[in-house]
Amino acid sequence: MKQFLGLLVAGLLYAAPLTAQAKVNIFACEPEWAALAREIGADKVTTFAATHAKQDPHYIRARPSLIAKTRRADLLICSGAGLEVGWLPILLQKAGADVQPGSAGYLMASKFVPILEKPAVVDRSMGDVHPDGNPHVHLNPHNLLLIAKELTKRLQSIDTSNAGFYSNQLQSFTSRWQQAIAAWEKQASSLKGTPVVVHHKAFSYLLDWLQLKQVASLEPKPGIPPTTSHLESLLQQLKAKPADVIIRSPYEPDDAGEWLSEKTGTPALVLPYTIGGDAESNDLFALFDRSIKLLKEVLHDQ
Amino acid sequence: MLTTKLAASAALITLLSGTSALAASDKDIEALRAEIQNMKKAYEGRIDELESKLNKVEKSQTKALAPAPATPATARRDVKDNSFNPSIGVILNGQYSQFSADEGEIAGFAVGHEGERPREGFAADHTELNFSANVDDKFFGSTTAAIAQHEGETEIELEEAYIQTLPGSGLPDGMSVKAGRAFWTMGYLNEHHSHTDDFADRPLPYRVYLNQAFNDDGAEVSYVLPTELYSEIGAGVFRGDDFPFGEGDGSGVGAWSAFARVGGDIGNNQSWRLGAYALSGEANSRVSNEDVVSFIGDTDIYAADVRYTWAPTGNARAQEVILQAEYFWRDEDGVYEDTDAATGAVNFDDSSTGWYAQAVYKFDPQWRVGVRYSQLNAPDVPAGLVGSALDSGGHDPKAYSAMLDWTNSEFSRVRLQYNREQLAGGQDDDQFMLQYIMSLGAHGAHKY
Repeated sequence: MKQFLGLLVAGLLYAAPLTAQAKVNIFACEPEWAALAREIGADKVTTFAATHAKQDPHYIRARPSLIAKTRRADLLICSGAGLEVGWLPILLQKAGADVQPGSAGYLMASKFVPILEKPAVVDRSMGDVHPDGNPHVHLNPHNLLLIAKELTKRLQSIDTSNAGFYSNQLQSFTSRWQQAIAAWEKQASSLKGTPVVVHHKAFSYLLDWLQLKQVASLEPKPGIPPTTSHLESLLQQLKAKPADVIIRSPYEPDDAGEWLSEKTGTPALVLPYTIGGDAESNDLFALFDRSIKLLKEVLHDQ
Repeated sequence: MLTTKLAASAALITLLSGTSALAASDKDIEALRAEIQNMKKAYEGRIDELESKLNKVEKSQTKALAPAPATPATARRDVKDNSFNPSIGVILNGQYSQFSADEGEIAGFAVGHEGERPREGFAADHTELNFSANVDDKFFGSTTAAIAQHEGETEIELEEAYIQTLPGSGLPDGMSVKAGRAFWTMGYLNEHHSHTDDFADRPLPYRVYLNQAFNDDGAEVSYVLPTELYSEIGAGVFRGDDFPFGEGDGSGVGAWSAFARVGGDIGNNQSWRLGAYALSGEANSRVSNEDVVSFIGDTDIYAADVRYTWAPTGNARAQEVILQAEYFWRDEDGVYEDTDAATGAVNFDDSSTGWYAQAVYKFDPQWRVGVRYSQLNAPDVPAGLVGSALDSGGHDPKAYSAMLDWTNSEFSRVRLQYNREQLAGGQDDDQFMLQYIMSLGAHGAHKY
């Protein structure tokens, strides 16, 4: 027993200095938020992304590993607006008090940006509609500035000793990001007004930002996989009024888009959607660089 | 207005200068002029002031005349009561079943009425009604009532009615207390509502050992350890009224449980969970087999479960493989009696085991196929129980199942299932089941 107590005391002494310089544990529901947290937190934080680019963030299992990760998290950053409604509540049930709704450690990105496609009326016959509007907010780079600002505030209140560091990081990120936005907007100015078919409304914020026109979606209703009859009607629609490109995310199945592409001659394009969506999209800057480059390539080749 | 004012001052000036010019000196005239100028200024200032006042009044009048912005009906009528309504969810569960055998007895086991073979033909069984909400900053509350048919009577069964502490209620992080009636932590399926099951019926060990599910009245505490690997431990105490116990004497604790679980990921697309469970208690009287068989004594159940999921493409929405198995060991020490076979009270002290294993493959976002095998190993029969419902006749019950289901959305599923059940010697039963499960309203997130 004495030996055990000795070990315990030694363990506590060993653990104490560790907690003093411990990093902020950030649990990001999606890879884009982990990337943003790295931009602001750099080496003062450790980030974990619950999903990867090949996974549909609507449909994630509340796996044991995620329970363990949220249990240890100091800050939770997610898209919100119902995107994670199928799994995050289970994780929160077993998580700590510091990451519960209403606390500094609970950050839902969609709360801090202008939301698109907020339905006036919701009924489940409309498909998997999000009553809070479209949650895929990260694809408008202006939104990321707003969220970076909020994230900095949260980090400063959780990790007060490094508050100055976080403001410097935010300042540096903001200036680099604003420059990048200006460059992207210049590059993409030729894309304005391009008619686009999407698989799911995952790209609404990108299209809205670059002023591309979403003319149809392969899903007959949000969350309902494409059906033959819907694809037939799309085919007729596109024959009458062609679109320039069919886009989808890496996690969406290719069959419907490829079929329509073959029938109409409209190119089908996979956009990275998030960090790791293709080999090049390793951070937020690369994600937008790639998205615009891919769109320009496919649209200007025609 | 300005013109009248000017004309008036001009007239005044002429009048004054006309009458007094003769007598007054040049100096006086200067002074008078200055005075008049002052008066003019003062009047003009006042008039300006009045004019601006009039303008303001006119403007505010037009404002008042403009149609007032419409106030939404909800703002006028205070309907704050609604926003605090609990989430309401309804599960509609309907089934059509056809069986080839007349009987569905499970040889060698005492079976409660939930564990029996379901009704043949159409059955809108197990419509579930759930209300849940956070009670306040410290508690969550939920109640689920199942409306089911039993022997021609519609029964409302209180499946769950519990409160649970919320994180931040003052307990250490990761710890939670649940009290009331609930589907307690015991194996994989027990804490899940049957509408989330991958098959239309529960496997044999659940039907026989837990009468579908253990939802006694009691309390349970669980604690997620702050470890890198998921690990959770917990324990519960119960009244001891629900199967496999019965008629807890109401004074004190009739049953207890304990469990431990670990789990994690393998790479990006595979995850697993392992669990070990114990449930132990005393039955003062547990009646089964249509009130024919009774048991008084102690029951101990030890169980282990494993679940493994794999998303071959990374996206579980598109394709997924789920493997799941559970093993049960039950020991009973007490007195059995079968009134139908007039056995009288017979001492019984023996153990039995049961297990099942299943595989479900989602090959398309909306389609899944699954197979399951379940088996029970009946205990030896004491001499006094030969010929009773507890006499297995050397037969170990087995069941093979295959299912195909179509999921239109997260909220609706239709399933076709085939079972081949060999639950007693010479009683081969081919079963077809067509089932729908639909969910209305609020629908909570599903556990792993």
